[in-house]
Amino acid sequence: MIFEKRTERIFLAIFFVVALCIPLFLEDNSFFVGKATTVLILAVFVMSLDFLVGRVGLVTLGHALFYGLGGYLFVILTPEYEAVNFWTYAIYIMAISALIALIVGVVVLRTSGIYFIMITLAISQMAYYFFFDSLEFGGNDGLFIFMKPETSIFGLSFLNLDNPSHFYYLALLAVLVTLLAIKIILRSRFGRIVEASRLNPERTEALGYNIFAFRLISYVIGSTLAAYAGLLFALQYGYVNPQFMTWEMSGTALVMSILGGLGTIYGAILGTLTYEGLQYVFEHMSEDWMLLMGGAIILMVLLLRKGLAGYLEKLLEK
Amino acid sequence: MSTELFFVQLINGIQYGLLLFLIASGLTLVFGVMGILNLAHGSMYMVGAYLVWYFVAVTGSFTASALLSAAIALGLGILIERLLIQRLYNRNHLDQVLLTIGMIFVFNSLQSILWGNDPYGVAVPEALSGSVPFTDNSSYPVYRIFAALICIAIAVALYFVVSKTRLGMLIRAGESNREMVEALGVNIKSLYTIVFAIGVMLAAVSGIIAAPMRSIVPGMGESVLITCFVVVVIGGMGSIKGAFVGALMVGIISTFATVLMPTLSNMIIYIFMILVLLVKPQGLFAK
Repeated sequence: MIFEKRTERIFLAIFFVVALCIPLFLEDNSFFVGKATTVLILAVFVMSLDFLVGRVGLVTLGHALFYGLGGYLFVILTPEYEAVNFWTYAIYIMAISALIALIVGVVVLRTSGIYFIMITLAISQMAYYFFFDSLEFGGNDGLFIFMKPETSIFGLSFLNLDNPSHFYYLALLAVLVTLLAIKIILRSRFGRIVEASRLNPERTEALGYNIFAFRLISYVIGSTLAAYAGLLFALQYGYVNPQFMTWEMSGTALVMSILGGLGTIYGAILGTLTYEGLQYVFEHMSEDWMLLMGGAIILMVLLLRKGLAGYLEKLLEK
Repeated sequence: MSTELFFVQLINGIQYGLLLFLIASGLTLVFGVMGILNLAHGSMYMVGAYLVWYFVAVTGSFTASALLSAAIALGLGILIERLLIQRLYNRNHLDQVLLTIGMIFVFNSLQSILWGNDPYGVAVPEALSGSVPFTDNSSYPVYRIFAALICIAIAVALYFVVSKTRLGMLIRAGESNREMVEALGVNIKSLYTIVFAIGVMLAAVSGIIAAPMRSIVPGMGESVLITCFVVVVIGGMGSIKGAFVGALMVGIISTFATVLMPTLSNMIIYIFMILVLLVKPQGLFAK
């Protein structure tokens, strides 16, 4: 069984059943469906981060670099007034992102620990200011996507991305695929070695594994998934701007992943839902929602040792 | 670039660098001794600036307001360490990061509740409001020179405390071996409280000193925080000497970049930091 823990199976079963039904009951409420879509896209982003931080042991504060890259690459690569094929371009964009992640990875992986946090932060800040200060990429306003791509595969089209519910299912599919992909990777021989090198780098190296290569490949995988999430987000809202790449974006994703339970992967979904849910509630309660949000974060850190997933597991695992 | 402009920019750069050092010193001190990466450090800078602005508006005296604000910051530091940070010593570093992100939310929100989101400015104290003639047709504001001197004075004091006093000895001992210090009967808990409170106060004092030179706006803490990260990483995390060198480098480089290559000016310090890390992956003065 790919999902080892009972808690994990229960949570994911409930999550996917509820998530599948949401557009059926809320078809008329396109605002809510849109919001739910955003949350799903974020969950993909946070899962990819949780994989890197919690499982590979690469604490990055520059993950949003690839989130923004996914959006920017789409606008840069596609013609302005012509609907391109979504899948084709998704593959192009992920391939280019992977290549960029490979180059960035070679640089950042020379450092470790706190310096790794800081160098990833620096590189994403550089990218942020690159797009922020550039005229050809729209500066602070960013770039707009005028045509949503079409999604046919071999001439068959199931999804119309202008329809909020269809977009929602595309995002849900991304959550499922990302979750399965990460889980399968972690269970594979590759994943075992990656985890071994987080838990005891010296021994793993002594066993003859090239830790650097394993970490680099993991970094590329995590970053490419983030780029896919960023692509979806840009397509949903029809624009991309430097705000996609802020360190706050990376920081918020890190908060979601730690809140959910670092390294649990399904906890990343849980953390994203909780954070976004709390923010939605607090924003409607008070103008000063940040005070409530900050208070909630502080309380959860103090009370939950292993995040929300850890708490659930304490309740449900015997 | 004329010689005159060069020297004005150099002095600007040094002065900015000294201010950066003052902010970064608290960050690197707390990290070096306690191993805590305080992301809310920039918020403390913001708190200092807003407090002094508020007290100047009420009392009219900059000196009194500055002292009062610094004292409040010290108290705030003790409170935060005792109430929050202390509970997380045995936890994962990332839990500490999460806690301090929560603190950023709280402080930003308190700032907007208490003082609103309008930008404010603090008038330069009267005694320091003049300028010193530099050449025939340029001059330099006295307050900026004063601010630079205060930063140097604090740097010297910090050096003296860390290398010559009993507290400094404990701090250095705590950095290298926490268990041994505890075993020798030192109350490491109160040592940590003191160090954290000093760190908070250093950030707030920087905010106080910067207040008459910069506008006091929401979000000022975060922008300064990231620059401070660059400074301490270049210098080597935990090294005060490194923070000093790193701060001067960043101050001078970013000041000249603004004049010489405006399009690159935002990116240049990050490029510089990455170059430094490629040559020395642990910063210039790593331990």
